[in-house]
Amino acid sequence: MKRETGGRRVAVSGVGAVCGLGWGVAPLWEGLRAGTSAIGPFKRFDHSAHRTHLAAEVAVETAGETGGGPLLERLGADPRWERLSLADRFAVFSAVEALAQSGLAAPLTGAGVFFGSSTGGMFESERFFSAFLRGRRRQAHLRDLAAQQVNAPGDAVARWLGATGPVRTISSACSSGALALGAALEAIRSGEVDVAIAGGSDSLCQLTYAGFNALRSVDEGPCRPFRSGREGMSFGEGAAVLILEPLERVLARGAEPLAVLAGAGSACDAHHMTAPDPSGTGAAAAIEAALADAGLPAAEIGFVNAHGTGTPLNDAAEWNALRSVFGERAGEIPLSATKALLGHLLGSSGAIEAVATVLCLLHGELHPVPSIPSCEGAGVDPASPVALVMDRPLPLPGVRAALSTSLAFGGSNAALIFSQAGKARAGKT
Amino acid sequence: MPEASAIPSRIKRLIVDSLHLEGMKPEMIEDEAPLFGEGLGLDSVDALELVVALEKEFGIKIKSQELGREVFSSVSSLSQFIEARTSP
Amino acid sequence: MTSITASPGIVVTGLGTIGAYGSGAESLRRALASSAPLTASEVDRSSGYHLARASRQALLVDPALVREWLSPAEARRMSPPSKLAVAASRMALRCAGLEGAAEEPAPVAGVALSTAFGPSSFSEGLLRQILLEGPEAASPFLFTESVANAPAAQIAIASKARGPSITLCQREAGALLAVGQGAADLASGRAARALAGSVDEMTPLLHALLDRFGAVTRSGVDGREQARPFDRRRSGFVAAEGVTLLVLESDAAARGRGATSLARILGWGSAFDPTAPAIGWGTGHASLGRALRKSLDRAGIDLAAIDRIVAGASGSVGGDRLEALMLREAWGGAALPPVLAPKGVTGEYGGGFLGAVVLAASGATFGPAAGFAEMDPDLGVVPHDGSPLPAPSLVLATSVAAGGAASWLVLGAPRP
Repeated sequence: MKRETGGRRVAVSGVGAVCGLGWGVAPLWEGLRAGTSAIGPFKRFDHSAHRTHLAAEVAVETAGETGGGPLLERLGADPRWERLSLADRFAVFSAVEALAQSGLAAPLTGAGVFFGSSTGGMFESERFFSAFLRGRRRQAHLRDLAAQQVNAPGDAVARWLGATGPVRTISSACSSGALALGAALEAIRSGEVDVAIAGGSDSLCQLTYAGFNALRSVDEGPCRPFRSGREGMSFGEGAAVLILEPLERVLARGAEPLAVLAGAGSACDAHHMTAPDPSGTGAAAAIEAALADAGLPAAEIGFVNAHGTGTPLNDAAEWNALRSVFGERAGEIPLSATKALLGHLLGSSGAIEAVATVLCLLHGELHPVPSIPSCEGAGVDPASPVALVMDRPLPLPGVRAALSTSLAFGGSNAALIFSQAGKARAGKT
Repeated sequence: MPEASAIPSRIKRLIVDSLHLEGMKPEMIEDEAPLFGEGLGLDSVDALELVVALEKEFGIKIKSQELGREVFSSVSSLSQFIEARTSP
Repeated sequence: MTSITASPGIVVTGLGTIGAYGSGAESLRRALASSAPLTASEVDRSSGYHLARASRQALLVDPALVREWLSPAEARRMSPPSKLAVAASRMALRCAGLEGAAEEPAPVAGVALSTAFGPSSFSEGLLRQILLEGPEAASPFLFTESVANAPAAQIAIASKARGPSITLCQREAGALLAVGQGAADLASGRAARALAGSVDEMTPLLHALLDRFGAVTRSGVDGREQARPFDRRRSGFVAAEGVTLLVLESDAAARGRGATSLARILGWGSAFDPTAPAIGWGTGHASLGRALRKSLDRAGIDLAAIDRIVAGASGSVGGDRLEALMLREAWGGAALPPVLAPKGVTGEYGGGFLGAVVLAASGATFGPAAGFAEMDPDLGVVPHDGSPLPAPSLVLATSVAAGGAASWLVLGAPRP
């Protein structure tokens, strides 16, 4: 698996996000640091007949009050905004926010867009179906169905920013976002593009809500990854975008690199459509490939942002993968699971967890998960004894690199390695 | 209430139909034969599909916590479980 | 565009394809050589999705064609695209001489599959259950196979492909992107072999929607629906379903095991037209044409050496225009090499186009461009008239997608 990275190191020069904690990176980081869970009652659709009743919902009506601020107002005033699905809006907001931080400006001639999504505008197409199937054909608007395309959020971002480079949407279930970042990394290394807008977007919809419930993969309470008594995932929604550029380009234009995307790896279980390979072999292969790609030994990894869905099988397989890669250290590396706060963003989970990883590296501390003492199973499951950080952020001064994992339906595993931009910078000068 | 004696054959019919077991006839399934793993070679997703079919057929609700291996080990164990849930 | 003209060269050693033309490369080759209309199926209109004046036909696959490739135990839970994909992957591996091959150590194999719409019949079925019968009626079977990456995952399971697995959704641009992705996985060393291709099913709902958006051609005076790529009278495409899967490996590996290659992969690339609306084509041909030219330059491919174009033109009003003007922009006033437009035969979506691209590079004969009679002066492209052509040495395939994406792929004729 040897590869030439061509010496082109790839920096993150901007991040943007929308999730249950709010519109923007500021509410995301504030909530992550405090271990605030956004998972709770929600009202996007009538879920009274569904099996479970929680989600980390993006505040759509009260967006202005939850951190969307002037940016959301400005976007909302644009005539194009009204035609976008929710997933498109989350994506465009995140991309515009990330771009502003990077110091770059639209139109992004030659830039590429690499996006992950599971269901695109499924929520809107459910509105069409609901009206259509109940015989209310006049209320079934074709525009709602047109939004359903999985490639719609990535295309919407490219259109909004005037990107004319390659645009690719990856829909490999819950590893889509991480795979999109891997594709962006490759495109910059190979010289195909100098600027990549990479991320993912998904919104809550009944199809996935009922589907995961039919698989009994959803916890009736908030999801508690790696904890005793965990019963499954919680749903989330939102988007995240990272602006990637060659490190030297970021430094040359006097901008501040937030982190370096050092490596990406992926591997398939080839085992089962839904159940992970219990041995974690495929997940371990993805992590090993990412480490090799980054040229880093496992010992350099200072913390792990785990996939950690909270389903008994998935967390167990992930623990086995970590044990196979890190050996004795597996139970000592500080670990967090962003899904305990934001729920599962499906196709964009890999992207928002990448943003969480970058923020943790940047601030030198790992965000905690809430302990939820009221729920059964406050402690870490002794069968998967990870060093889970709870309730208070863990200071990690001098942390150099971190791992973020994504393990999906269909055995599609992906891993990303981020490293400190500070060190990269020092090494450069 | 359905007649107790009819429950096993209704379950067998559901297994064949809802799990799309082409070429299999309900009467080929033995009451005590294991359904999962070695027996019919069914897996966890089949079990969940069967749950949806059983809920619909018998008008019952099966909680996630009840989806133990014991209940789903054979037609006769499933039949006992349903009988207990549907009897007055 | 990434150039991989230097070592390691990447070759196509296997092709599996299923469509309205039948099963296997030979049936597609015959259809393309004759250019005769394929037997279109009447689309089921019983769901009431269609308008009264809507298109009535689509190029559908006979379900019996996948049966010989799948055991009933495998097939019982698969969505239609998963069945097509697994069947074609087995056909491609057999074509490559890799069927049942137990190599030690097993090479790491990647999967790169494109689908415009995913397993839409299963998504629709699941939504019907949820919305009409209630969420607790949702079938786990339908959900697990409703995800876009189900076909890629099933290929991986069936062929023990444990390398990178990527599903690309980029409408009409997806098939060429997937081949580029598979080649990139080989070039970077992430995989030693790749299965790359394109799959889609055409459901009554999708067909009705494409019709409502004005994308599908409606019946002519003879009651037949014929796509007319590049023709002045074109009014939309004929919707199709099917699959093509390719086996990609390094030239060295193929030679090492004495395999015959069908084509060499010399470069791939893509660009975006931000003027496109979400569900149609834009007017950014100048920018796309420059991007195409630039990426050929970067790949070290001399545009003048390209002696065949396989266009993705489907008969779509806006798409054919954009593609024609993009090509003319790239050629900058010079005459285009012979242009093939196989979607006049194969229809839009599925795997017919990708199969035709590989067959073109391998020297297959193409009949006159189906459906073409009258040049559109706005486009200025006259596709191949069926007269004998020498086998090409460099083939450029292009595709422009609704929504703005465009992709291209350069194939070389196989080394003798």
